[in-house]
Amino acid sequence: MKFTLNWLKQYIDCAELTPAQLADRLTMAGLEVDAVEPLCHDIDEIVVARVESVSRHPNADRLTICQVTAGEGDSRQVVCGAPNVRAGLVTAIALPGVTMPGGFKIKPAKLRGEKSDGMLCSAKELGIGDDQGGILELPEDLPIGQSLVEALSLKDIMIEVDLTPNRADCASVLGTAREVGGFIGKKVTPPVTGELPKLSGTDLPFAVEVLDNVHCPRYAARLIKDVKIGTSPWWLKRLLLAVGLRPINNVVDVTNLVMLEYGQPLHAFDFNKLAGGKIVVRKAKAGEKIVTLDDVERELDLETLVICDADKPAAVAGVMGGSASQVDDRTVDILLESAYFEPVGIRRAARRLNMGTDSSYRFERGVDPEGIPFALERAVRLITETAGGTVVAGGVDLCATLPQPVELSLRVQRTSELLGMEFTADGICALLNGIDVPARKQDEATVIVQVPTFRVDLEREVDLVEEVARLHGYNEIPTTLPIVPMSFPEDDQARSLRKRLTTLLTGMGCYEAINYSFVNPRHFDMLGLSEDDPHRQVVPLLNPLSEDQSVMRSHLLPGLLENLRRNINHQQTDVRLFEIGKVFHHRDLDTQPQEVMELAVVMSGRRHPGAPRLHDGEALVDIYDGKGMVAAILADLRLSEVVTIEADSSSPAYAVGQSSLRVVSNGKMVGRIVRLEPKVLKKFGVKQETYFVSLDLVALVGLTAAPKVFASLPKFPSVQWDIALLVADQVGAGEMLAAITEHGDSLIEKAEIFDVYRGKNIEAGQKSVAIAVTYRAEDRTLDDETVNGVHKKIIKMMQTRFDARLRDA
Amino acid sequence: MEDEILRLKSEAHVALADLGKDDLEPFRVKYLGRKGLFTSMMRQLGQASAEDRPRLGKLANDIKQELAQAFAAKQDALGGGQQGVSAVPSLDLTLTGRSEPCGRPHPVTQVMEEVCGIFEGLGFTVAEGPDVETDFYNFEALNIPPHHPARDMHDTFYVSDSLLLRTHTSPMQIRTMTEQEPPLRMIAPGKVYRCDSDITHTPMFHQVEGFLVDRKVSFADLKGVLSVFIAKMFDADTAIRFRPSFFPFTEPSAEVDIGCVICAGKGCRVCKQTGWLEILGAGMIDPAVFAKIGYDPDQYSGFAFGLGIERIAMLKYGITDIRLYYENDLRFLSQF
Ligand SMILES: [Zn+2]
Repeated sequence: MKFTLNWLKQYIDCAELTPAQLADRLTMAGLEVDAVEPLCHDIDEIVVARVESVSRHPNADRLTICQVTAGEGDSRQVVCGAPNVRAGLVTAIALPGVTMPGGFKIKPAKLRGEKSDGMLCSAKELGIGDDQGGILELPEDLPIGQSLVEALSLKDIMIEVDLTPNRADCASVLGTAREVGGFIGKKVTPPVTGELPKLSGTDLPFAVEVLDNVHCPRYAARLIKDVKIGTSPWWLKRLLLAVGLRPINNVVDVTNLVMLEYGQPLHAFDFNKLAGGKIVVRKAKAGEKIVTLDDVERELDLETLVICDADKPAAVAGVMGGSASQVDDRTVDILLESAYFEPVGIRRAARRLNMGTDSSYRFERGVDPEGIPFALERAVRLITETAGGTVVAGGVDLCATLPQPVELSLRVQRTSELLGMEFTADGICALLNGIDVPARKQDEATVIVQVPTFRVDLEREVDLVEEVARLHGYNEIPTTLPIVPMSFPEDDQARSLRKRLTTLLTGMGCYEAINYSFVNPRHFDMLGLSEDDPHRQVVPLLNPLSEDQSVMRSHLLPGLLENLRRNINHQQTDVRLFEIGKVFHHRDLDTQPQEVMELAVVMSGRRHPGAPRLHDGEALVDIYDGKGMVAAILADLRLSEVVTIEADSSSPAYAVGQSSLRVVSNGKMVGRIVRLEPKVLKKFGVKQETYFVSLDLVALVGLTAAPKVFASLPKFPSVQWDIALLVADQVGAGEMLAAITEHGDSLIEKAEIFDVYRGKNIEAGQKSVAIAVTYRAEDRTLDDETVNGVHKKIIKMMQTRFDARLRDA
Repeated sequence: MEDEILRLKSEAHVALADLGKDDLEPFRVKYLGRKGLFTSMMRQLGQASAEDRPRLGKLANDIKQELAQAFAAKQDALGGGQQGVSAVPSLDLTLTGRSEPCGRPHPVTQVMEEVCGIFEGLGFTVAEGPDVETDFYNFEALNIPPHHPARDMHDTFYVSDSLLLRTHTSPMQIRTMTEQEPPLRMIAPGKVYRCDSDITHTPMFHQVEGFLVDRKVSFADLKGVLSVFIAKMFDADTAIRFRPSFFPFTEPSAEVDIGCVICAGKGCRVCKQTGWLEILGAGMIDPAVFAKIGYDPDQYSGFAFGLGIERIAMLKYGITDIRLYYENDLRFLSQF
């Protein structure tokens, strides 16, 4: 909602407030001011001038040589290119030495050989409108030589208020003025007061029939004959331009002005274009169409309320008029409509036709049903003032069941309790009466409020409590802390797990990424997922912003790969990124999808990104980094006993088969550790080796962590014996290790692989695996003989199970 | 034996005083080496009586330490370090230390946790809900019927007629209230979605919604809790103002502004010259919402509030472009 300060002052004397103070007070009253801007900038030096005579430029077809007067005794030659320049035209001139808005300085010049001593200006050049028809056309009676700003009262300030949906009453300058009156303690002066003409009559030259008085409970109309359509007077154009509306003609401009003034949208029909001289308000019929004022043909459906003539729709009620009955230069008689349309119906129609207008905005929030005849009278007066014509006596004002004025009672104690401070009945009455909401004290405990029809938002007691708070001032209400019993929130395990993982992963050098929950469905092809892969069962959006964001993600990998590409493209090739987020699995159309929290990590480039090369060198990340990361996480979560990492024989298409591990718990896969397939990476624009780790956090939360149980510290020393074994290359060293720890003797405390070697001195197809075994007894220091016994058993087991040979020392 | 130890001490110190550069190594071997006099002295301690042994051991050890220090000082004074095979290469302490730098949580997570932490400290429980919500929880139950103009404030992504991407985390108010009885204190952090994308809007962002319901909770209490939050989140003397606003599920509704953290209230581009920055929306829970759940609005009252994490992070850290949050560029992530 935009208006100008001078416009506001027509209804309320608020001269005691500076524009900044006014803006602040409005904001603090809940009418948030978005902008306070002078109507025009840098045109103080522009003056009014008259073109005395014109002649053709000898050297240029499009230029005209004008003799111009820019003040008492002034006469100068100006070359002008505007098509509308003519003798007698009063316009605006920038004289030599003047700087135009935008910084251009006017100098005496020669244009195609002809002297030009100044510049005639258009509204656009002056920043006061977007009229491109040529130079400014001003009223002939303006004093020549006077400052344009003064002559046109351009010294004004535009104020824009960001209205909340509840304050329909302030979608008007008068409504805003009423609020201002509330905080400066004054009353508004509306332009129309007193007795209105009676809108009835039997022998009217037109008829109105309302067939749907649920959706149109009030319809008023009057006829004005013999108007003269033309451009509006400057004052009217200026107000419309100031608030961003395009002036059209004097009649349409008046309807727009009154809409802004009263908040009541009006419509003017060219009466002679209405078949049968008749208005019928009804729902559209099947197959009916209308070409609206924006020249778009629109199909109407049975729910849409239309204003028809005897044959066909002439306007979409409350939304937009039809071009067939539009007021144009040849219009002589106009039928002026002022009505109340039911808000929900208007909103539906505007949404369905996808045409929110200034009119639908107001109707869907609720106009003042009692303001209808006032707005109509105001428009009738202004039209006859600007376009002449004769008002046909009488008119139509059909009223069905209108929203009735409500009487509410407000409990003083309830108000005090809700707001946290003491109010009195008298205090409350004073506040409400200040904004023309009549309130009276019934007794000390109760206030009776007669809600005026313009305040459609005041329906319940609590609405009044808010008014009291608002008028008293939110910042004048005390600040206290609630007294609430202590409570002990349950632990949210999923949240604790996420927090712990974030700590662990950042400790491992990973940065956290957050990606959009919606992705491009093409990602699944890029990942090479098979047609029946469950990840393809996505949840699509009905109204995505783009293909790139059209389905809910079912996988975290694509987002991270895009992040990886971006980083590599910006020369950051050592990347460890993780994301903890939801993926969505489709169930059926009307059931909420399954939302599963997952962890995903991508690793690429150096093993220790950011670590000094001096110490850590250029070693690149490999599959063991992924495996170690998962193992460390499982150990930290005390899940190592119930979750295992094993080779994955059925790895997904985006993984390099022989470098693919799965994380398993109770036979169910709960994660992956894979080297990503270079072909897939290439599709995402990544050309360097990359590893991917994923974990299903829902599954992990469901697992029971190993309890923390104390074991007494060993009292006797351990001994460490090493074994070097030669085995076939395909034997898993990890399995050898597992065999030792799981199937060996109770004296074995731990075993660790400390070297795996192939090559020189080892025959082809073989490798040497060196294992350090630590032995310890709980109750004594071990002697060599005992250790040797166990050690031999191990070697024997290695020989039988893995066909291992002891390597000569 | 004690005498012997003390004698050795004075002998060694005398010898040390006269030491020349070439005598350093012989001295070290004689007194401090593995087969030196002090070591053999320690070995002989075994012969001392059990009660004297600890004391003498400590004495011998202290003297050896002291001598080692004096020797090191002498070595430095003579300008010669250890030489030959046993010499340690000199350390270049200007070299970078060895470390494996940590990563960081995303700035949105950091701010989100900070916000949650403050409210958890005030006894609020954290609850999370589904991102794909029903129209009922996201709108209807929050007093936003299908054709309410307030739906214009939410540019909604739809999944079907009845399912949508939540436009706020307020549905958790309803989910919690339908399952539990007051007193309730809860915050709901999470992702929310609006189909809007430009320099100041991303189609997904993060919100924390919170509410408190009990008997006799007042607007003054709302002001109190939010004032505490702002003082903790920003600065204890951050200016705060509450001004009237509108949300369908609260009444009275308020918008909360803080004094501009960039210009300190003087007026700048970020605060549109007003000196104030809007940081959260709040209000007393509308009785219509209580009615949907079956709470008696005359018995219970409560307040709710919601704030955007990205916006707070922008203000706290001076981030100027909201799109940076979701590009996950390490040059951005490593700053926080
Ligand atoms: Zn500022």
